[in-house]
Amino acid sequence: MNESAPVIVFVGQPNCGKSTLFNALAGFKAQTSNFPGTTVTHAHSQVLWKGKVYTIVDLPGTYSLTPHEPQEKVVLTHVFKEKPDLIVNVVDASLLCRSLELTVELLELEYPMIVVLNMMDLAEKKGMSIDTGELEKKLGVPVIKSIAIRGLGTTELMNSVEKVLSQKIKPQALKFSPEVEKRIKKVQDLLPEDFPVVANKRFTAIKAIESETLAVDKFFLENNPEFKTQLDRVRQEISALREFPAYEVIAAERHHLALKIFEDCCRVRHARVRAVEKFDNLIMHPVFGLVFLVLIFAGMFYLIFKIGSPLETWLLKPWEAIRLAIENRFGQSLMAELLSGLVQGIGGGVAIVFPYFIPLLLLMGLLEDSGYLARAAFLLDTFMHYIGLHGKSVPLFILGFGCNVPAVMATRILESRRDRLITVLLIPFIPCAARTTIILALVAFLLGPWWAVGFYFFNLLVIAVLSSILSRIFKYSSPGLILEIPSLRWPSFKNIMQKTYFNLAEFVRFAWPILIGGSVLLSLLSFIKFDRLMNTLLSPFVSGLLGLPQSLGVTLVFGFLRKELSLLMMFQALGVNYASLLSAISQVQLLTFVVFVNFFIPCLSTLAIIWKEMGRKVAFLSVLLNLSVAVVISLLIRLAALIF
Amino acid sequence: MFHKNNAKNSELPELGQICLLAEIPQGEVFRIVEIKGGPGLHRRLLALGFHRGDLLVLDGEAPMRGPLLVRNLTTDTRVALGRGIAGKIIVEPVRNHE
Repeated sequence: MNESAPVIVFVGQPNCGKSTLFNALAGFKAQTSNFPGTTVTHAHSQVLWKGKVYTIVDLPGTYSLTPHEPQEKVVLTHVFKEKPDLIVNVVDASLLCRSLELTVELLELEYPMIVVLNMMDLAEKKGMSIDTGELEKKLGVPVIKSIAIRGLGTTELMNSVEKVLSQKIKPQALKFSPEVEKRIKKVQDLLPEDFPVVANKRFTAIKAIESETLAVDKFFLENNPEFKTQLDRVRQEISALREFPAYEVIAAERHHLALKIFEDCCRVRHARVRAVEKFDNLIMHPVFGLVFLVLIFAGMFYLIFKIGSPLETWLLKPWEAIRLAIENRFGQSLMAELLSGLVQGIGGGVAIVFPYFIPLLLLMGLLEDSGYLARAAFLLDTFMHYIGLHGKSVPLFILGFGCNVPAVMATRILESRRDRLITVLLIPFIPCAARTTIILALVAFLLGPWWAVGFYFFNLLVIAVLSSILSRIFKYSSPGLILEIPSLRWPSFKNIMQKTYFNLAEFVRFAWPILIGGSVLLSLLSFIKFDRLMNTLLSPFVSGLLGLPQSLGVTLVFGFLRKELSLLMMFQALGVNYASLLSAISQVQLLTFVVFVNFFIPCLSTLAIIWKEMGRKVAFLSVLLNLSVAVVISLLIRLAALIF
Repeated sequence: MFHKNNAKNSELPELGQICLLAEIPQGEVFRIVEIKGGPGLHRRLLALGFHRGDLLVLDGEAPMRGPLLVRNLTTDTRVALGRGIAGKIIVEPVRNHE
């Protein structure tokens, strides 16, 4: 507990809009999307409200307080260990009935609590009218309506937070049926003296009963076999009441409480089928759905290319002019080299970020927020089974097209370690926005748009083949898909803009300094002929194995920081400008280089996140896998070029 | 269409007769009788709001014998379930719904 800054945790089921609400309060801190399980780590923020500071914590979505998925464990750790001063239970109002099961479970904690009915607009569209007064009475906690995506309800929430905290209002847990309560009381009395009580005795007893078949149960057996025997006896009694396992009896009790409250507080007019539902059925149709899926992705990349390519040409012109002017003014001096390095760095940064990166981020944001990712997972599940994974990996791969780093982080939504390992190893092969940009810029611009499209499909093929190989190495029968399909909704413009800005700012902050600094450094190195040493060292590999000009060796060093840097710096290294690149290297060499750089190693940030998420061994494995794939494919291209 | 729906042409199962969720025709209302499979799967389905007694409708299926799109009418949620999992949920038809 912290006297000066009370801790408020946001708990709710996946995709209920916790992060959106959190961001509405805290400014942009947490990544949001319309896909269950996007928040996998928690975000902290300080909020100033009427002169008082509050710490708010956004936790991953959880369906219940029994830990079986990794993100649920994060929630439990926070709720149990950090003892929050207040729980804000965010509820998707359009899924009120199901969501109330978690609310009922949270009430068992008897911590101060507020329920936020989020997505009220969606609920109203579904024909639901919710009596919040009645709901407050039934639950015994304040209920606030909100539409977080439009920033509505935040003022009411903070007012309520202030009130609940100052009055120290604690709710009462709702009671189950008497015969079950009797058994819970029994376990409560059985709890040993030294038993770690969480929240209160009743809650602890319920959790002990529910932990049947979970790891905790073994812990009981080892530490207090006598308690375990007694506990098992009570479980059998509970089980006998309904002829289900005890944990299901408890879950059914909550289910019935939730249903009862829902029936008392919510009326549903059976609204006519809305246009959006008809559209939803169409995009999930086995045939039209797939056609639509292909059209969406084809259209997306076509659009990016259509916007990006002319814009790129136009943006590159002034920088090239400045570079030529510098060359004329200063001749072959150190000054000229450094200045033109600087100009090339800035020019490269501007010409990539604006034409391609921004449209790609905007379109990705649109797909995420509309709820389309879960639909793609549904449609592609069978295909993913062919390559040894299942549909839940699809959204992660799609996220990877934006940036590999959040995609690796989001693999936590996969239940099995094996699926997670394979997905993590494959993600670095997905060309992220920055890499796509370079591929579009270089390959499409210099070799033609069909080469870029071909490269893309080839890239996907590589992933599919690798996945098949990996899934044969790591054998295991996949548990099958269980994925909630969220409602389709209109993406909020503000949300997408915020997200784009967030990613863009990150990219600019991280990549531009390296790009510009690296470009200048490369000029300096080349002026003092140091790059020759680097190139000579790497020469057997670069020229001997890959058949590339020796001078490209040094760019690979930068490529480890960010892959796109290798490609950008090749102009610098080869001493040519953008348009005349093909005078310095052949088309085959360009293709070999692009392929090699695209695959050769996960970029530094991706590698760091793999290390953090999966450990050192997996990070090494990832590097090894990337390097060998890059070498094999580059050699194949060289070979193909020799034959044809 | 191009996908076969196993049960579409056959008669609805008799009242009181049970079958697997993986076998039911689209658009008809069924009630969950039992969830087979290990406790892990069972708990996950419970957490998603799938309980005994809930009413279900098959909304659609993905191409190439892909997952099923199941709507839980009791809690008004939609979930994609792989066929293996749908084969572990036992249901019975509900004739007089609404």
